[in-house]
Amino acid sequence: MKSLSFFFFFIFIISVFPFLCFSFNPESPTDRRVLVLLDDFSLKYSHSIFFNSLKSRCLNLEFKLSDDPSLSLQRYGQYLYDALILFCPSTKKFGGSLDLTAVIDFVDSGHDLILAADSTASDLIKNIATECGVDFDEDSSAMVIDHKSYAISGTEGDHSLIVSDDFIQSGAILGKTKIEAPVLFKGIAHSVNSANSLVLKVLSASPSAYSANPESKLLNPPLLTGSAISLVSVVQARNNARIMIAGSLDLFSNRLLRTAVQKAGSQDKYHKSGNEQFVTEISKWVFHERGHLKAVNLRHLRVGETDEPAMYRIKDDLKFSVEIHEWSGKNWEPYVADDVQVQFYMMSSYVLKTLSTNGKGLYLASFKVPDVYGVFQFKVDYHRLGYTSLSLSKQIPVRPFRHNEYERFITTAFPYYGASFTMMAGFFIFSILFLYNK
Amino acid sequence: MARILARFLVLLLVVSICEAAPLFQPISDSHRSAALELFTLDHGSFKSLEETYEALRTFQILGIEKKPDVTAAACHSISETVGSLSSTPKDLFYALKANSIAECKIHAKASKGIISSLNSAVSGSSSLLDFYYSVGGLVLIKDQSSKDDLQLADAEGVFRSVKAFSQSDGRWRYSSNNLESSAFAAGIALETLAGIVSLASSELDQSLISTLKNDISKLFDSIEKYGDGTLYFDDKLVDGYEYKGPLSATSSVLRGLTAFAAVTTGNIDLPRDKMLGLAKFFLGIGVPGDAKDFFYQIDACACLDSNRVSIPLILSLPAAVLSLTKKDSLKVRVATVLGSNAPPLTVKLVGVFSSVSKDASLVESQELKFDQGSGLHILNDLLEIIDVGSYTFVFEVVLQEPDDEKVYVTGSQTKVPIFVTGLVRIENSEIVVLDSDLGSVESQSKLDLTAKNAVSLSANHLQKMRLSFRLTTPRGLAFKPHQAFLKLRHESKVEHIFVVGNSGKHFEIVLNFLGLVEKFFYLSGKYDMEFTVGDSAMENSFLVAIGYIELDLPQAPEKATRPPLQAIDPYTRYGPKAEITHIFRAPEKRPPQELSLAFLGLTILPLLGFFIGLLRLGVNMKNFPSKPVPAAFAFLFHVGIGAVLLLYVFFWLKLDLFQTLKVLGFLVVFLVFIGHRILSHLAAASAKLKSA
Repeated sequence: MKSLSFFFFFIFIISVFPFLCFSFNPESPTDRRVLVLLDDFSLKYSHSIFFNSLKSRCLNLEFKLSDDPSLSLQRYGQYLYDALILFCPSTKKFGGSLDLTAVIDFVDSGHDLILAADSTASDLIKNIATECGVDFDEDSSAMVIDHKSYAISGTEGDHSLIVSDDFIQSGAILGKTKIEAPVLFKGIAHSVNSANSLVLKVLSASPSAYSANPESKLLNPPLLTGSAISLVSVVQARNNARIMIAGSLDLFSNRLLRTAVQKAGSQDKYHKSGNEQFVTEISKWVFHERGHLKAVNLRHLRVGETDEPAMYRIKDDLKFSVEIHEWSGKNWEPYVADDVQVQFYMMSSYVLKTLSTNGKGLYLASFKVPDVYGVFQFKVDYHRLGYTSLSLSKQIPVRPFRHNEYERFITTAFPYYGASFTMMAGFFIFSILFLYNK
Repeated sequence: MARILARFLVLLLVVSICEAAPLFQPISDSHRSAALELFTLDHGSFKSLEETYEALRTFQILGIEKKPDVTAAACHSISETVGSLSSTPKDLFYALKANSIAECKIHAKASKGIISSLNSAVSGSSSLLDFYYSVGGLVLIKDQSSKDDLQLADAEGVFRSVKAFSQSDGRWRYSSNNLESSAFAAGIALETLAGIVSLASSELDQSLISTLKNDISKLFDSIEKYGDGTLYFDDKLVDGYEYKGPLSATSSVLRGLTAFAAVTTGNIDLPRDKMLGLAKFFLGIGVPGDAKDFFYQIDACACLDSNRVSIPLILSLPAAVLSLTKKDSLKVRVATVLGSNAPPLTVKLVGVFSSVSKDASLVESQELKFDQGSGLHILNDLLEIIDVGSYTFVFEVVLQEPDDEKVYVTGSQTKVPIFVTGLVRIENSEIVVLDSDLGSVESQSKLDLTAKNAVSLSANHLQKMRLSFRLTTPRGLAFKPHQAFLKLRHESKVEHIFVVGNSGKHFEIVLNFLGLVEKFFYLSGKYDMEFTVGDSAMENSFLVAIGYIELDLPQAPEKATRPPLQAIDPYTRYGPKAEITHIFRAPEKRPPQELSLAFLGLTILPLLGFFIGLLRLGVNMKNFPSKPVPAAFAFLFHVGIGAVLLLYVFFWLKLDLFQTLKVLGFLVVFLVFIGHRILSHLAAASAKLKSA
């Protein structure tokens, strides 16, 4: 009997499980439906650890060949997927209705993208990257080579399997736990467009790296050298769409995820490379499982009151509060930081104040309304490395003093008042005496 | 075609270790540790008997000692499945398979029950998988209980009905009404037929066996191929449901082939290279991250290791990077796919080709010495004649016993890329500033390129800078590194890179600043210099800071190109902004309170003077009306005036203008009326007085 009830419970859980996992909820920003485009299905085996880690996080992966004629990102104006993984570096043309503009439109509508290239990268893949602010090396035979920080290996001697531990310092992107072991990389170099402020280098090459063809002699200086080479970059668009661009498809492969690593010239041996932690953490960021903020309950009050006023008077004391939460992949948790700022803004900010926090997501500040009247805004513009940007504003008018709100008994004016009142008293007595004196 | 090409490229990337010739390594310890990671227990047992079998089989093949202990849990579920009447042939099949490794005791009565139920399942089967499970179950029971009398009643009839699913191209269908044929099904069919042959009471018709052998060679004709000799089976993707991928299909075919070859006599006629190509496929995958794929790989390797057709031997090198400084010797290992030792054989080094000039072999053909202890073939003194660089070594494997050649397949020549590394000597490094026209040395400094230098130079645009050094290999020959860069970095982070060229051993670069002025964007100031020399054959690749050079360049003309934009540091871009507090308008200046109060006192003085004057004048009230009515009016009139004045006081203290005017309105009407009465009374009185 007990086993029977357990069995029914199990069936219930199994049947509910897909809903728990894949039901769409606007309150949870994590991506659910992911389209994975591959050059070859053998990548499913060779990169299975990465894919399994995504599946274990409730992501619904749909694998397709990049030249599948039925490829389409949207149907009847609705997007079928929340995110796209392009593990098809050599694809020259996508199948179906997918092309460069379709991918860019997908991102422009707030969806996420992971793109991995390698030395076979086609123009199509490079163009997608260029649209995102990342320029791959134009020399198609070039690879990243580093004769100083390469991985010591018994089988690979051309130093194109390099190690890098030059990560971006951001807990939002790479997680709170430090990546101890260096990351193995074998692929092509790219540089980030310096005019584009949205793209960030997540993994940079060491100063001795350069991008060249290992087979041929170098006659001209390579286009990309040293720390200017970005190995993995991320972009967070203004609509909070997240893009990750890696110059190596092998970075995600089981082979590099499971390889022991020792950097040349270093005695530290790691039994496993940092790749697994790196790709897992960064994929969490890309799929909005981390670093996604929301601000709610933006409130402001006159000190001593409980209702939100429709208007402030100059020199009022006011209290401003806002709640900020971070999405942890499962639920919203209070976001704790000490650098959230509020602006009291009209054409330019009149007051810019750092909010104090109670550690539970509530941010507070109190200040005096400036003695300038007009239509002001409370503005919270929060842009931090790796986090989605918050831009809130709330309009509020500020009026000057009313006629009866000025100061009434000014000591300096007492002589004038004294003169008037004595005059009045004199007049009163004079009027009596004038009429009745004889 | 494009698809095949793309697949080929990807597989090369995924699989290959080097560009030239991929080197396949046999199953090693990384597989063993991955196996323990992949097959994890869920509450002390595996999820299903199928998974239990796969885990146990994988552990058995890999010879893992420290495996999780699941025998008790497995035996429990095996005996449960075997004892239950409702178990399907599939459940029984996997239970028996798991039992073949777990070796639990099965009740004699239960095994009798299974035999009868499986026998009836065989006769009632209509699809390939039904036959597979029921026949497979019977074979397993026969093996486990060593019942020689267990036989299939109508073996030949069953054989024919299974054979009916076969297709002309060597592939098989799952059932008669399913039109799709697949290689995966072919593997299953072969295994089933092998089971039928072993269960047959008498020798089967030889013509059946030979048609089947024919089918197998047809199946192997449709094998797919990558450019590097890797072979695999792949099913056409008709719909996603049946598709299981090349790994499962190839593994299935190999299992079927091995089983079939084990029960038949005589040769199965297959090209020998095909088994080697299949071995390359399974080794090329690396370590799959999925338990099922892992099992397919390991199981297929076990089939390759012990089949009757031909056992592939894989040549691998423990290290393809050999160091001259460590005096490494060339070691080659020849083993089966699972890493077990090969039969006696000799490994020949046929040739060594430099990556630069690929024409002639650098050494003569020679044999490697076999070291009994380590099982490696070693060549010690080779590195004494070879300098640093990258080479392609060509090996040939020759079996010593002619009989072994029927059992094993070695492939022809194997090309292996090898890197020979060593310490490169750096000498005579110096940096000089020269006068352009005369070539006279202005300042000269020696450099130590193994440590950081702090040279400080200065030059103007009419001068030149020269950096020179010598590189020699351990054998005293010229060495041309792949990377020899001089990098100049201006304070504004604009970088310029120059490749240092050579003539023989001597390396030199001359920077003529006059010609570089435009390239340097006319930016005068401090340039940090960094020098990098690196090569894959160089063990002492270095990146050193040399110091700086202070350049004095002419002013930029108006049309000169501007230096490119430098990326802003993301950490500064995202920091909090400086706080802003509003500066309020300062209140107007006021005199001190005391002064105002003193003047307040002064304003009372005229009133006092007025009172004193009145007293002096001797004012009286004799004119006040004596009659009660006028007196009352007079009194009310002055009360009214007093009220107006008092209203003014209240106006000052608290009332606003509107309140005041309202009250004043009433008071004024009252005053006009009363005032008129009293004033007319007073006027009449005074007129009467005058006329009198």
